[in-house]
Amino acid sequence: MSPYWVAYKIALQETLQRRSTLIMDRLGGFAVVVSLYSFWTALIGDKATFLGYTRAEMLTYVLALNVLRSFVFTGRGWQLVGEISSGKISSYLIRPVSYHGYALSLDLAQKTVHVAAAIFEVALLAALAGGEIFLPRDPAVWLMFAAAVVMSSLLFFFLEFMVSCLAFWTSESGGPLFCFELFLQFAAGAFFPLDVLPLALRRTLELTPFPYMVYFPVRVFLEKVPPAEAMRLLGMEALWLAAAFTAAMMVWKRGVRSYAAEGG
Amino acid sequence: MAVAIETRGLTKDYRSPLKEPGLWGGVKSLFDRKYKDTRAVDGVSFTIQEGELVGFLGANGAGKTTTLKMLSGLLTPTAGEALALGHVPWEREASFQRSISLVMGQRSQLWWEIPAYETFKLNQAIYGLSEADFRTHLDELVDLLELGEHLSVPVKKLSLGQRMRCELAASLLHRPKLLLLDEPTIGLDVVMQKAVREFIKAYNARSGSTIMLTSHNMTDVVELCKRVIVIEKGRLLYDGPLDRLVERYADHKIMRARFTTPVDPADLKAFGNVVKYEDSTVTLEVPRAKMAAAAAALLASYPVADLNVEEVDIDDIVRRLFTNS
Amino acid sequence: MPVLKKYWRIWLRTASMAMQAQLTYRLGSFGFLLGKMIRLLFFFAFMAAVFQHVESVAGYSLVETALFFMTFNLVDMTAQIFFRGVYGARRTVSEGDFDFYLVQPCSPLFRMTCSSVDFLDIVTIIPVIVMTGMVFSRLPPIGWQGYAAYALLMINGVALIYAIHVLVAGLAVRTQELESAIWIYRDVMFMGKFPVDVYAPAVRWALTVGVPIAVMTTFPAKALLGRLSPAWFAYAFALTAVALPLSWWFWRDSVARYTSSSS
Repeated sequence: MSPYWVAYKIALQETLQRRSTLIMDRLGGFAVVVSLYSFWTALIGDKATFLGYTRAEMLTYVLALNVLRSFVFTGRGWQLVGEISSGKISSYLIRPVSYHGYALSLDLAQKTVHVAAAIFEVALLAALAGGEIFLPRDPAVWLMFAAAVVMSSLLFFFLEFMVSCLAFWTSESGGPLFCFELFLQFAAGAFFPLDVLPLALRRTLELTPFPYMVYFPVRVFLEKVPPAEAMRLLGMEALWLAAAFTAAMMVWKRGVRSYAAEGG
Repeated sequence: MAVAIETRGLTKDYRSPLKEPGLWGGVKSLFDRKYKDTRAVDGVSFTIQEGELVGFLGANGAGKTTTLKMLSGLLTPTAGEALALGHVPWEREASFQRSISLVMGQRSQLWWEIPAYETFKLNQAIYGLSEADFRTHLDELVDLLELGEHLSVPVKKLSLGQRMRCELAASLLHRPKLLLLDEPTIGLDVVMQKAVREFIKAYNARSGSTIMLTSHNMTDVVELCKRVIVIEKGRLLYDGPLDRLVERYADHKIMRARFTTPVDPADLKAFGNVVKYEDSTVTLEVPRAKMAAAAAALLASYPVADLNVEEVDIDDIVRRLFTNS
Repeated sequence: MPVLKKYWRIWLRTASMAMQAQLTYRLGSFGFLLGKMIRLLFFFAFMAAVFQHVESVAGYSLVETALFFMTFNLVDMTAQIFFRGVYGARRTVSEGDFDFYLVQPCSPLFRMTCSSVDFLDIVTIIPVIVMTGMVFSRLPPIGWQGYAAYALLMINGVALIYAIHVLVAGLAVRTQELESAIWIYRDVMFMGKFPVDVYAPAVRWALTVGVPIAVMTTFPAKALLGRLSPAWFAYAFALTAVALPLSWWFWRDSVARYTSSSS
């Protein structure tokens, strides 16, 4: 049996065991979704469209945010920082298992639980609020959305991984990681659609990998991106992913070398 | 001689929730909490005079730390009474707290990233020491504990021994009349243990303060205390002079010898009471007076690879006490 | 009064010690500071951007919405400065620091809540105060009653938040679990960034009567703009008058049941 599968199952059980933490986490996240949902509803008021989004589309954006947050923005960054500074990581380095594979398996377990909860929450909220949700009819759209989302979560995973590797060189990597995650969330469109921002700012952000994480997949979902353009953007995202992966691996190798050199 | 501490029937029960393992057990426990009641301290009564240095002996979980915590006001007893320095400890009156100090081995009140001196200043503010008093007390402690430059170095950069000494200084800045020490030498190496013991003895002599210390290290108690109180499973087993306790229940020491070739344990009876023989290693109980002679004789007559002499384990003494009473 | 002086001195001392401890972590502190500023600025930019496209949200103009947001920040950050210790409550108890608090002649509740001042919070509240001033300057003229009401309700808000923190601290001492309760508080507080009127009536009700975020953050701004009825005004103070003693009682009860970790 693959060690990664075993790790996944164990992590899944563990996440489910810590019930009170899980419930608290979800409740808190739910509060955030409710406020964003309400804010956008108030914003759109009686208008037919706002920034080119109809009511249904705007609300779908907010709800999709909740699900995507649970899928994309969970990583093993903080755990990695902890394992490096406590020295626990040495035990992983000598095992015949890839640390990244292992971390990904654990992350996937977390994602499984949180995404399931997130979908439940948005369904609940949509039912309660009686709002319309926009669901694409074209199966190709669903496929592209899925592809984009999978890449987004890996993109975040490796970017966060890279920043967490700072822990190999300093005991204070918590600060930069905190800063990075916050900046990322705004730039990715995880609080509000980037359409709100002035054009110049948006263009600048589009040169970075960040909007690919949330903004782009949701727009694909809302069928706001013509298929050709969507394929092109998917390709761009794949390139960014490759770059992030390479960079993360390089930093990791350097980090492990310097870590071992010091004797932990 | 005034009475420093007086307790009568001090009792403390703990109630801990029972959790069934597994997910279903977890769900059940949300609705129907079952508890387990443990009596940690059971009707303990004793009186301690001012200036005494008393040792509290007992195995782990026997109730000595709980008793100490009740006397410091940390815990409220389930039943019984106590007066320490004329106050009821768990009422936590400021005037009472200003005259006591609690030192817990392996727990520190010093802030980790900054020099110990900063924590001293904090305690000055907490205990309301005037600048003059603070200076005098600090200088005296720096002298006694040889703290020197350790005060201006971040605590995390100090060695364990240096940290312990700073910890002691922090607890004594306000010159408490009652000092409660919970396992003060735990985790320290032999040299450090000795230093801490010396300090406690000196401090007791100088200041006339009353000192109570708990330990499951027999050496601490032997070196420091003339009087011991033994607690087992929450009950007071023995309260009296240490020498009588040692005489009565630990009249012997333990000798462990490993031989290079197997030896017949029956032959070893001459040296002492054979407790165990396994893998060419014998464990003997030898009366104190005869220990040196027995060791020498054993070394002379048998091919000894390794020889160890130890004090009787406190658990053994307590067990003996328990079976005797 | 000697007691106040003593506590003021202790507060200053622990704040200074906390700052020294933090300064040993320069990179980390810089990262956190930058993160907090980013969060503040982005939210502000977001609001400004939104108002490029709309005139008003739930009946409030940009300046008014900004006022709500800044008020939220003032109240939230003041609470952070003074009550941050509760976030580490579980560790304080499990590492034995709480035992020391109980034995020393200083209120353990005070030590628990106030011993962990983050001087970065003090640094970041300065631009917040400045920005609030700027928002004030753009408001139409308001009588002294408005400002008085604002100030009183802000103090009231901080007091309410204090009651919540005391409750959480009590929980930490009592069960030595459920520290996550304080993180829920932070997430729910997120809802306070917006004027409560944006929320559907049911939610608004929950935020005014259930978890009174509205009272803490929306009421002061509303009062300043003259949109708070006297009934709600009285309610705000009545709520605190009940919540505070209740939370203190809960704390005292929790300490009485305290079992202290380690044998």
